[in-house]
Amino acid sequence: MAQFISDIPQVFWDGLFVGSFYALIALGYSMVYGIIKLLNFAHGDIYMVGAFIGYTILTAIGGTFHMLGLFALIIVMMISMLITGVIGVVVEKLAYQPLRGAPRLAVLITAVGASFALEYGVAAIASPNPRGFPVRLDGDFVLVLGARVTIPQIILMLIAGALMIALDTYIRRTSTGRAMRAISLDMKGSLLMGVKVNAVISRTFFIGSALAGAAGVMAGAYYGKIDFLMGFIIGLKAFTAAVIGGIGNIRGAMLGGLVLGLVESFGSELVGGQWRDAFAFAVLILFLTLRPTGILGERVTERV
Amino acid sequence: MNSRKRTLGMLGVATAVLLATSACSGGLLGGGGGDKTDSGPIIIGMIVPTSGSSAPTGASMANGAKMAVDEINKAGGILDGRKLELQIADGACDAQQAVASANKLVSSGVVISVGGYCSGATLPTLPIFDKAGIPMIIPAANSQDLVKEGLKSVFLINGTGLQQSTAALTFIKKQGYKAVALVDDNTSYSVDITTETKKQIEADGTSKVVLKTSVNAGESDYSSAVRDIMGSGADLLYWTGYYQEGGLIIDQLRKAGYTGDIMVADGSADPTLATIAGPAAEGVYATMTPTPNTIKGAEGWIADYKAAFGDDPKPYSTQSYDAVRLAAAAFTAAGNTKTDDVIKALEGIKDFDAFSGPLSFTPEHTLANGGFVILVMKDGDFQLFDNLQ
Amino acid sequence: MTIDNSTESIHTVEGGGKKRGAAAWISSVFENKYIGLVALAIALLMPFLIATPYAINIMTTAAIFVVLAAGLNIVVGYCGLLDLGYIAFLAVGAYTAGIIAKAFELPVLFTLPAVVIMCILAGLIIGAPTLRLRSDYLAIVTLGFGEITRITANNLTITGGPSGIYNIPGFLSIGGIDFQNPIIFYYLTVLIVAGLVLAAARLGKSRLGRAWKFVKEDEDAAEAMGIHTYKVKLLAYIFGAVWGGFGGMLFASHLTAISPMSFVFLQSALVLMAVVLGGMGNMKGVVLGALAISLLPELLRDFAAYRYLLFGLLLVVVMVFRPQGLWPPRGAEAERTKAQREAAAFANGLKK
Repeated sequence: MAQFISDIPQVFWDGLFVGSFYALIALGYSMVYGIIKLLNFAHGDIYMVGAFIGYTILTAIGGTFHMLGLFALIIVMMISMLITGVIGVVVEKLAYQPLRGAPRLAVLITAVGASFALEYGVAAIASPNPRGFPVRLDGDFVLVLGARVTIPQIILMLIAGALMIALDTYIRRTSTGRAMRAISLDMKGSLLMGVKVNAVISRTFFIGSALAGAAGVMAGAYYGKIDFLMGFIIGLKAFTAAVIGGIGNIRGAMLGGLVLGLVESFGSELVGGQWRDAFAFAVLILFLTLRPTGILGERVTERV
Repeated sequence: MNSRKRTLGMLGVATAVLLATSACSGGLLGGGGGDKTDSGPIIIGMIVPTSGSSAPTGASMANGAKMAVDEINKAGGILDGRKLELQIADGACDAQQAVASANKLVSSGVVISVGGYCSGATLPTLPIFDKAGIPMIIPAANSQDLVKEGLKSVFLINGTGLQQSTAALTFIKKQGYKAVALVDDNTSYSVDITTETKKQIEADGTSKVVLKTSVNAGESDYSSAVRDIMGSGADLLYWTGYYQEGGLIIDQLRKAGYTGDIMVADGSADPTLATIAGPAAEGVYATMTPTPNTIKGAEGWIADYKAAFGDDPKPYSTQSYDAVRLAAAAFTAAGNTKTDDVIKALEGIKDFDAFSGPLSFTPEHTLANGGFVILVMKDGDFQLFDNLQ
Repeated sequence: MTIDNSTESIHTVEGGGKKRGAAAWISSVFENKYIGLVALAIALLMPFLIATPYAINIMTTAAIFVVLAAGLNIVVGYCGLLDLGYIAFLAVGAYTAGIIAKAFELPVLFTLPAVVIMCILAGLIIGAPTLRLRSDYLAIVTLGFGEITRITANNLTITGGPSGIYNIPGFLSIGGIDFQNPIIFYYLTVLIVAGLVLAAARLGKSRLGRAWKFVKEDEDAAEAMGIHTYKVKLLAYIFGAVWGGFGGMLFASHLTAISPMSFVFLQSALVLMAVVLGGMGNMKGVVLGALAISLLPELLRDFAAYRYLLFGLLLVVVMVFRPQGLWPPRGAEAERTKAQREAAAFANGLKK
């Protein structure tokens, strides 16, 4: 027990760090769900695709990188965000748009199919072997209240935070953001009021996928290993985070990510790391049955 | 009524077609095919994962076996000039797939099996081969469970978890480690080694197990394991899982400031460990059977392998190569390919010249000498550190 | 029966104009009442055609896969509940059979009561808290349960941990006839599977089956018409679980070894694929879909690397162009085209 108490700051920080990845991916789930009530199963795989795009660019530019440092990594991340954003839009156009208004079961199955296609498409192109990321963020750690906090962790948290603040501002302050919120309230109504619904939905997919792509590059640079199935579990976790925060709610998704990270971290400290995933899913099930609206969510009703 | 007539008609046609074709194939009416013949090529079967996440290892094992087959055939074959023919089937590290593949190999008339990588997928194939009278030389899978049932036709040429943990303990005592942390990835093979190692360390008593825990394969963040290891005060971490997770754990552990030593088991003794872990992998020890690049005089073999497959040999390439050669030696000693004679010949093998050293079998059909050595990671590749002799 | 007839007449009015010649013949063959018998006859005669251990093995595997697809069809096809963790029931069935048979050295058949009870329990445990949820939450939660089942099996001692359970005793052996003989076991499997498929199809036509279809088409309306939707959904879940348990029992005695690796999400997705491709709700189609999914990879081994890519793309393409599945149940056509028309109209509206 004494061991556990002295570990608390470390457990807290580890949870917070992983949670910020969850949050970044959860945003895409939450935005898409909020607007067209679609559970985009392929979203976790966009994160994986982002990591592979970052890998490809970094491998292509090769040795020049090390001279440029962090700045170059951010540029590569932005390029990957653009590409994953476009991929997200293409997936939406090909797989989801034709089914708008179709039964939910059909759309869900399409999403599962899209996820498979992305995973095994990457496996077919890049081979199923795991890859070592060509660039890794190294740095010393500092002790904060007894927790080891590394410089790369701080940098990545800052990037994630900046992206989330930018998104929050975008949704609250711009006309596109307003249009998104309008569509999530009443799609047909917005259509009648002159909102270009399809364009706004595309933009939503673009932003959500770009954020996941950014998370993918960041994960590659931090953990150093990428493979074609890396998006599956984290996608489920991110969905869990979105549900915990209140799906459809942007700030809820951020909060949910951090909460899930903490819950997992403390959970595996108490019951053992091999139960970590089981723990996360148990939390999801508990939330869905006891408080399906999440922490910040509003009352949602099944669309008929 | 019309529909009933049509149904009966269809039934009749279907039956006629089936019966007609069955006469000329291996159906119940056509008599059994696949009898063991005394001429023509000798078919060797090999189940390795050629799809799924272990596919790269499977490919390198298949290459090792191919190389041995080519060499033997070039030298004129065995048993009065009969050639060897290798049939590779995908096990995908999945029980169902492996059973299907085992049956496929049985159907195509193999006389010996030289495959087996994932213990979990290899286990259910044992009774299938055994019933069909096909001896198995298992090159990589090394769970103790494989020989627990005492099937006469099963031979392991990779050291078992028990032998590997004995090697680990010898090294731990030699280096004088006091506090050992054991971490596995919750797969059959990996848990086998940590459990055996824990037992042995506790029975020995000169050092202590301060932590034994499992992680889930396939994740990226192992901070919980890192905390446990840091908190346990271990001066040696023994990781027994595969290199994918091993690389991540080593990297994260070093970043967190772990200063103790790290040792990995044979599943992680792969150069890819260094690609994933980066500089943190330097100085990592491994319990492993000798790999080609640690064996003096194997340079020629490595060059041949590279020339044939355009890739470096991987840890289990040598064992697969040896499995085929061992099979050929057993056929030669037995003078035929009959099950009982081959098993007897394998049991009688003495000091067969294998990469892992002189090879003979114990009464349990495991290696008499596990042949484990200690490797160390230097400049991104494993090199021989201590042969434990 | 009256309902069946009326839907058939609607069907002929709607679809009669389109089908001519060979197409009409093929369709009438498939709609034939005795098609099931013909399929069974083919299955029983197959060993006379090829009896290599390999062929018998993959045919047995395919037959077990058919049970799974039939069970999932009850949940997804009849009742419209997307279950992404269906393989958990196969796991429950297989582990129950394996553990009990091994511990008491019983033939696997004798574990049947325990398997059924455990599967009903599992269905209740998973279904009871989740079936009140919105449909897409249900998908994720079932997926979560599937993973929890696998992780639990991997971490417990009674399930053999990661190595699982092996050397499971044979299915049954009376007076010298060992049912573990591959060919006898194949026949036994085919007969059990045929019985289960038939039972599932009957269930679909029963009063309960009609309630399921109502819930699938419009849950609120069903509730308003006095159907206790929660109870009805839970029943669908339990039936699905029991079918999965039967599959698990056959699975355990067929492979004689089970390990957590056999119960990954990918397997759930494959069963779902069979149900979707075959035409959700149409038992004949689902059986065909299951055979295709389990046999095609064996025939196309060379494309193993692209198998899942192809499956993924197929799911998308089928859903986009034929959301009712390749071979939908009779009678659903009229409503579906209406739904599609609506979707199209809505999409057009969005474009303007």
